[in-house]
Amino acid sequence: MANTAILRDVAQAVLRLFPWPTEPGLRTVGTPGPESPVIITGNYDLTVRRVLAALRGLDAWVVVASSRGINVWCAAAGGMLSTAQVITALKTSGIEQRVSQRRALLPQLAATGVEAREVARRSGWKLRFGPVYAEDLPRYLAAGSRKDDSMRRVRFATRERLEMACAWAGPASILLALVAAFFRPAWAIPLVVQSWAIAIMVFMVYDRLPGGEMITRRRWLLTWPLAAGLSALVAALFSGGTAAVAAAVVSATALLALLTFDFDGSTPIEGGSHFDSRDWAITLDTDLCKGVYSCWEVCPEACFEKLEDTRKVEISQHQRCVKCGACVVQCPQDALFFTDQEGRRIDPAVIRRFKLNLIGSRGVDTGSDPGV
Amino acid sequence: MSSLVLMKILESAPARYEAGMRLLSLGAIPRAQQRAASLAVPTPNTRVLELGCGTGAYTRALLAAGARVDAIDHDPAMLEQAALSLATPLAQGTLVLRETTAAETDALADDSYDSVTASLALSEMSGDERAWLLRQASRVVKPDGQVVIVDELRPKLRWQRLLLVATRWFTAALAWLVTGSTSQVIADLEGELGAAGLEVFDESRSMLGSLAVVAARRCERAERAPLEQEAA
Repeated sequence: MANTAILRDVAQAVLRLFPWPTEPGLRTVGTPGPESPVIITGNYDLTVRRVLAALRGLDAWVVVASSRGINVWCAAAGGMLSTAQVITALKTSGIEQRVSQRRALLPQLAATGVEAREVARRSGWKLRFGPVYAEDLPRYLAAGSRKDDSMRRVRFATRERLEMACAWAGPASILLALVAAFFRPAWAIPLVVQSWAIAIMVFMVYDRLPGGEMITRRRWLLTWPLAAGLSALVAALFSGGTAAVAAAVVSATALLALLTFDFDGSTPIEGGSHFDSRDWAITLDTDLCKGVYSCWEVCPEACFEKLEDTRKVEISQHQRCVKCGACVVQCPQDALFFTDQEGRRIDPAVIRRFKLNLIGSRGVDTGSDPGV
Repeated sequence: MSSLVLMKILESAPARYEAGMRLLSLGAIPRAQQRAASLAVPTPNTRVLELGCGTGAYTRALLAAGARVDAIDHDPAMLEQAALSLATPLAQGTLVLRETTAAETDALADDSYDSVTASLALSEMSGDERAWLLRQASRVVKPDGQVVIVDELRPKLRWQRLLLVATRWFTAALAWLVTGSTSQVIADLEGELGAAGLEVFDESRSMLGSLAVVAARRCERAERAPLEQEAA
């Protein structure tokens, strides 16, 4: 059993870029009763296992909603984990027959896709957004369902960086090894080593390099000699041939291009680099703000500051915003909205309906501009 | 996941869903939908509830057979695509599109539809969701009406099952990339229909036994328990 779990951990670390669904439905931790906490999550297998592991020793209900096997944040932003999926899970999992209360906890990163007020209106369930990470659940529950700042922010520390490096190096090295095995079997191992080395290097240092105005190009120029030099060294050690060294430099360039093309989109520190929404800005209409603080509660980058004396918020850390849209989706006053490059207001209702970057409306291609 | 990779796959799903499904099934899905429509719409003006209408491919077959259709789906992008391609029946009032979840069909009145039907929707659902939905279908369909399902079922012949197991990972990955579909083969639809108080009266298969059109009606002998009691 433990061996299976380890194998699954390894497979999921390497194949993280692909959906890995587990059956939606109700799970129990310990011996929960009618008043035990109800925790909702998406059906990405790794997430469900992490939630169940984090809750070990407690009594709780875990309702797994369909997110099409994709992790919570990506699924919520892409419309795969939405108000509809949460209502469906609450109504069909059997949880309503097992608890006497109608309060449930969602991961904070689901706030981009799940409208808490709409779930309450349509199902009678009152949702709260819990911590970003499952491992903080026991601390959150012990604190009487209160989050401190550390539970509210996404991290991109060594562990998360290595996870993303695995996610890219895994498929890249498998693909390169297969190609090499067909044409030049002797190059298979060096190419695998190269893939892992470059992926780890990129995710550990790329965003920490000095940037400036020409941020992408400058980082590229700083990273390429490292990647190419490292690859040439590995090739020289394995075969020593000029052709191998030249091939290593070429493949290093290609790998680096692949990994850095949408580096920001592979991390929680920036929005994707290639969407129109990258140039949008979150705007606050202070007249409409009534100090509900739902934006402050769900922002994964702590961009907002509470102004207790006026019962308002202010966007104190604009530069951190990743344009996830969670604050827009949750604000009951529509006091927060995106404005595009030309300063036009994107209606919050459009963001709620079509999620991040208007993904749904772009898929339909109505020929109209949904933002104005 | 890289947001660009994920979004590029997901954002184009509604627009390419129908063509992708037609291509991947080599035309078997539209043929199965035609067959299902003829079962679900035995006479013109049949009132039909379509569950999970998606982009409206099957809806068109139902309308062409003369049905008045109430179609539901939870996905706004899919519905918008359906509304674009079905503007005429929407304007004429023979079609109503509703953005709602299958789980909210409990708000519909008993015995309110001549037919309840779904194409490639049940295999996208969890077992709990499917069981819930089939109980609702059994409740809202009239006693002399029918429930008609087009979906991916486990083949009955052993060699077909073995072939399915051997190729499933590849076809599932291809279907996800081309259409965004994350369907799972339904192992025992007849049993699930039976548990919901429905009995099969017609079944036909294609695509090496894995694509089925199943028609069922309410089983008069079955005493349907209240939904809350069944769920508990």
